[in-house]
Amino acid sequence: MAIVVNTHSDTILHDISLKIPQGEHRCIVGANGAGKSTLAKVLCAIRPSEAVSVKGRSLHRLSPTERKKEINYIPPRLEIYDPYLRVRDYLEMSRHGTRFGIDEAMEITGITPLQEHRCLTLSSGEAQLMMTAGALLHDARYTIFDEPAANLDPLHTRRLFGILRNEQLFGTRIVITHHLDLAFHLGYDILCMEEGCIVFDGSSEDFFAQKALQRRYHGAIARHADHIVTEFL
Amino acid sequence: MKALRYLLPPTALLILLVAPFVGEVPLHLARLGETQSIDHRIFFELRLPRVLLAFLVGGILSLGGLLFQSLFRNPMSTPFTLGVASGATLLSAVAILTGLGLYAPLFAFVGAMSTVLLLYLIGRGAEGYGTDTLLLAGITLSFFYAAALMVAYAFSDIEQNFEIMRFTMGSLEISGYGKVAMLFAVALAFVLYSYRKREGLRMLLVSHDFAHLQGMDVRAFTLGMLTLTSAAVGAAVSIAGPVGFVGLIVPHILRILFAQSAQRLILPSFFYGGIFLVACDLVARTLPVQIQLPIGVVTAFVGAPFFIYLIIRRRHL
Repeated sequence: MAIVVNTHSDTILHDISLKIPQGEHRCIVGANGAGKSTLAKVLCAIRPSEAVSVKGRSLHRLSPTERKKEINYIPPRLEIYDPYLRVRDYLEMSRHGTRFGIDEAMEITGITPLQEHRCLTLSSGEAQLMMTAGALLHDARYTIFDEPAANLDPLHTRRLFGILRNEQLFGTRIVITHHLDLAFHLGYDILCMEEGCIVFDGSSEDFFAQKALQRRYHGAIARHADHIVTEFL
Repeated sequence: MKALRYLLPPTALLILLVAPFVGEVPLHLARLGETQSIDHRIFFELRLPRVLLAFLVGGILSLGGLLFQSLFRNPMSTPFTLGVASGATLLSAVAILTGLGLYAPLFAFVGAMSTVLLLYLIGRGAEGYGTDTLLLAGITLSFFYAAALMVAYAFSDIEQNFEIMRFTMGSLEISGYGKVAMLFAVALAFVLYSYRKREGLRMLLVSHDFAHLQGMDVRAFTLGMLTLTSAAVGAAVSIAGPVGFVGLIVPHILRILFAQSAQRLILPSFFYGGIFLVACDLVARTLPVQIQLPIGVVTAFVGAPFFIYLIIRRRHL
């Protein structure tokens, strides 16, 4: 089983084709405006496209109930209109799977003390962890994390890394990130985008090879002592 | 604020119980049981149906406001600010003008529905309901309908002119229970449907994308809710005329008082919306003036200052 995109084009993306078999996680990297989040929204049918299929059927044509079992998307920022919604309410609505209970999901993500807080009072990092707990409870076959570490401090980033690495917690993970060191240590295959096109789709080893990094990032990114670092000077 | 929260339910019940007994003509309680007495007739044929009608109209308008604010994710959205009630009013006037006054409820429904459909199409065109586009579109439609209503006035004879004017001023004057029974059926369907859909509403209050990802057909859900809300508001407007402010004020007051999400305010919105209009009607009926004020004027006069007070005091409550 795989999620397949067969030549999708729109105003941002150009001739996108890819195949992500179940169990083969991906990191999507690329510059700002490269089309990563747009691709994520196409993959989860927020932007409907006939080019996306799961199990040989158009994702767009699946019933909403079937679709939610297949794919979930965690946005980079929490968007909530309701000022009175509490963390526990949010998690109740996110629960579609049976593998985890709400208390367990909160414990894994470290947000148990926040359960009665209103969602709009959470810091961006706390909101990110709440959405991660929601993704655990949703338990879709594919989960797309859009910049999951963007708002996290180092300790929370480390916790998130542990969660994303744990094979018992999620189905197939697609992680969109600018955090190249995170992508490197996750070790997932890399899909790199530039100006709405996929310019690299291959193994983490190939993408993070020193020479490849030098060529792609013109010396701004380098591999030092098993870490991917930004060369500021 | 806490005290208000506890005082509200008993006060509401008191208003509901006292309202049918208060009016221009004082009633003798002892004579209410005498079926031939004038007191009996005033109470059972005029006052009680009027209070029940006020309760149902207020409930529908208030719940309609809550649902519109939630569906369009805009605190200023109500069937009135978005022109839905104006659409119903215009078509009711057309019914009167064409001698089809008996079918005014049907015309009101068509007016409300076509306005919602227009708004829905505009919303889709503008890619989203959260923008101010809808509100502006609604205001524009209201102006358009107001102009069209002027045309209806211009083409009407004196009798029709008076009938349209009475209708647009809003009135709860009825006798008997025919219209009350009709509106009760509409209100019951409206409340039950909204209550059954409260989980969907809760998801939409996070975001449309979130609701989509949780397996909701957002478009079908929104259309279903808008259709029923418009039908209910159309029915209420066709009987009582356009009574403004209820759908804007009551849900906001409840939200501030109870600090709860909209899906938990479905039943309170209906109940307190009903009480609000019963109270306003009570004011209209008991003011020591020669004329009886149109109910829409009273709702605005009572509601607007209280709403402004709440907005100013909100940070300290």
